[in-house]
Amino acid sequence: MKRLKTLIKKEIMDILRDKKTLIIMVVVPLLLYPTIMIGMSLIMSMVIQSQEEAVHTVAYEGSAADAEVVEALEALYAEHSEDLACELTFEQMKRNDEAQADVWLSVSAEEGENIKVEISYTSTNQDSNYAESAVTELLSYYKDDLLKEKLAGEGLTEEFLTPVEVESVDSASESESMGMSIGGSIGMMLIVTVLMGAFYPAVDVTTGEKERGTLETLLTLPVSNFQMIMSKYIAVALFACATAVLSLLALGGSVVFLMFAVSTELAAELQGISAATILSMVPVLLAAMVTVALLITAICMCFCVFAKSMKEANNYSTAVMLIIMFASMVGMIPTANLDYKTALIPIANTSLLIKQIAAQQFSFSLAAVTIAVNFAYSVIIIWILAKMYDSEDILFHDGFKNFQIFKKRSEFTKGTVPGTGDMIMSIVVLLLLVLYVGTAVTVRNPFGGVIVQQLLILAVPVVVVWYMKSDYKKLFSLQKPKKGTVLAGICLYVGAFSLEMALVGILTKLLPASAENVTASFEVLMDQPTILIVLVMALMPAVGEEIFFRGFLYGGLKHKYDVKWAVLISAIIFGAFHMSLVKLIPTAMLGACFAYIVYKSGSIYIGMTLHFINNAFLMLQMKEPDTFGKILPVLMKEEYAPLDMAGFVAVGVIGLAAGIVLMKKAENRKMQ
Amino acid sequence: MIIAENLCKEFEKSYKEGKKTKKEKFLAVDHVSLTAKEGEIVGILGPNGAGKTTLLRMLGALMTPTEGQVMLADADGREITDNTKKKEAIGYLSGNTKLYPRFSIREYLTFLGEVYEYPKQEITERIEKIIDVLDMSAFADNRIEKLSTGQTQRASIARCLMADPMLYILDEPTLGLDILSADAIIRFMKEQKEKGKTVLYSTHYLEEAQVLCDRIYMICGGKIVAQGSPAQLMEQTNSSNLREAFHEIYKESIGEDNNEKA
Repeated sequence: MKRLKTLIKKEIMDILRDKKTLIIMVVVPLLLYPTIMIGMSLIMSMVIQSQEEAVHTVAYEGSAADAEVVEALEALYAEHSEDLACELTFEQMKRNDEAQADVWLSVSAEEGENIKVEISYTSTNQDSNYAESAVTELLSYYKDDLLKEKLAGEGLTEEFLTPVEVESVDSASESESMGMSIGGSIGMMLIVTVLMGAFYPAVDVTTGEKERGTLETLLTLPVSNFQMIMSKYIAVALFACATAVLSLLALGGSVVFLMFAVSTELAAELQGISAATILSMVPVLLAAMVTVALLITAICMCFCVFAKSMKEANNYSTAVMLIIMFASMVGMIPTANLDYKTALIPIANTSLLIKQIAAQQFSFSLAAVTIAVNFAYSVIIIWILAKMYDSEDILFHDGFKNFQIFKKRSEFTKGTVPGTGDMIMSIVVLLLLVLYVGTAVTVRNPFGGVIVQQLLILAVPVVVVWYMKSDYKKLFSLQKPKKGTVLAGICLYVGAFSLEMALVGILTKLLPASAENVTASFEVLMDQPTILIVLVMALMPAVGEEIFFRGFLYGGLKHKYDVKWAVLISAIIFGAFHMSLVKLIPTAMLGACFAYIVYKSGSIYIGMTLHFINNAFLMLQMKEPDTFGKILPVLMKEEYAPLDMAGFVAVGVIGLAAGIVLMKKAENRKMQ
Repeated sequence: MIIAENLCKEFEKSYKEGKKTKKEKFLAVDHVSLTAKEGEIVGILGPNGAGKTTLLRMLGALMTPTEGQVMLADADGREITDNTKKKEAIGYLSGNTKLYPRFSIREYLTFLGEVYEYPKQEITERIEKIIDVLDMSAFADNRIEKLSTGQTQRASIARCLMADPMLYILDEPTLGLDILSADAIIRFMKEQKEKGKTVLYSTHYLEEAQVLCDRIYMICGGKIVAQGSPAQLMEQTNSSNLREAFHEIYKESIGEDNNEKA
């Protein structure tokens, strides 16, 4: 313990003596927030003021019709000038001098027809825009007046035109909606400053130590590798947390300054926030920022460990920064909100949480989930980091060949197998693509969203494999199954499916909210024709997900690790990818089953077919309950009786056992 | 005392065959057994790439052998098994063990003293003594990045001294040093020998090894090809000095290698 403290002290001292790091860590956040917050608001109020003060010219040629309307407008302007966004002056001009005016008005009025007013303006010119909106406003008063006159002529009142009066009242106060709109970008800014605070020390203590040649010296000391990496992690995490706290202070300071020094409407609104709200916000914000700092530190260090030189570390930094920035930009998507699903996405969840905090409408339970999730991810990544630092390949040699994807395509030799890093990158990229592109399409068309998502799942591994010139037939196991394994695969699937049903039964009882969520998300899609549903919900996932999870992930992992780990890891990621607590374990189980079938049969096709049947069956059951419910009526029940459960478990165990025995047999036959 | 039995270290190397890159496993250190006793300077000689550094790393407990074992006994002859305890007993110095450039020698030694968990008073006393012995008072408070090669090497020796180990493993300690600094290092090794410590060291300077070493192991291609005192090696090869003996032994081992392949 004492040694760890000494080591941490040494790392901190080493980092502190590097001026660059300090500047990025301390000066950037301290200057960034005041500059952005105060500077922007000052500039904006200045711009608005100058626009308001400037006199804008409304020009007209001067026909009789023009003159009549302009005269009316001038009268109205005298009456309403206070309410308008800017000052106006009306000038008669020749058509050629149009350029001098901000807007051009031309009126055409035929006897017995409506008056037509054409306002010519330039949308790219701010002055012109202001003048246009002011004139439009005046014209609407003019229109109202004319209307009233006409109605009076017919002996009617204004109410005649508006039998129903609609008024929407926004219950969000101005500061709340302000918070919502700027909260998203504040979250991103905070996360990115933490990233900058973490990244440079992380590079310094890992790659820097290697490049300066002091790593081997450290290894001669009587400290374990675990103590070594932990001291480095803790030192960097302290800096990242310090940056987080500094950023929050700078941000808070800027807000306070805005509240009291600049008298704007925003300041008035901010003063209206109660002390209790602020008191509840601060600790949550602090905890969220600190945990996200811990997570970002762990991620950065994981990347840095792979880098041989500072130059290489800089290459990685671009990738890490892009990924973390994209993840943190989720808060800027107006439709993205923190719920129990998005709270599971690391970093993005913090950005969403900050958005909610800024809008003063966060829930403590969601905040707690976010913080806990990020903390859990940190622990997992630190564990991986410690494992990596135990490897002589990393400590003495060029490191793992894990991130090959950053090489140029011409540098790849045929048959390269993607490394663990390449796979992690692919998963992250896929997740972000699904999150951004998928969400963008889903908002407009839920069914289209599913199609896009499935296409992405297929496209990412195919592109990566093409780029790395991998042997896709071998990697994806695109081969004929070994003899006798098809039947064994079917048995395994029936077993896994039955156990899945039993599990779903239990989990639905435990987590009813999450289960309803799943059903609801499918029901939205059910108004499509049956054939389309089968195509999109069964065929596409069968091909795409099998290629990604059993081909790309499992195929790559089994090159590096023991088969059982490859099966397990690919299955867990498969489960997690479905982003639902209820589906996590059952889906992972099915994934493990399919991966095992690939392992034993050497072919992806069996799993693919079974996956198709599985999905098609579930979809048809939902779409055509009358026809397909009769085949296996037990599946249509809302709730399973204990007897059903026992049946599922029994069929499950028998199926799995039979499958494993048949697989063994097929193997033995081949050996003979 | 340190005893190595059948040490092996396997690495993977990739080479190009036509257009394909192939990978092959090979033994960087191939069944090496050696012993170094108290009050002995043992030299490890061999051409570049012979596996000297890998061997010394395994002896210094920085790397785990693929096969075989290293046994380290303390002054009373008891075996040390714990990895951190082993590192406490070994002073390891190589071209790859650089010092923190942003620290001064004094700060660095203080950090070491804290890692070795000496009491505060003792740390300052030891540092003063070491600075005095190695004549470093003129630059003990400068950042290490500002020191010359010779000064840096003396600082590295100071690093080893701070722990006061019973076994020194020095990988080419005199490489690239001027005569004054090199002599200071040689003097240091002799002093440690007189104190009854064990010194294991590798070098390319054969004249230096001839006068300094009690025993020499010559390795080539990861294997020990000759061993004995400098005098024995010269006698075996009918040479008048160690340099000639080295060439003879090297030629022989290469020839054997070729015969094996044929």
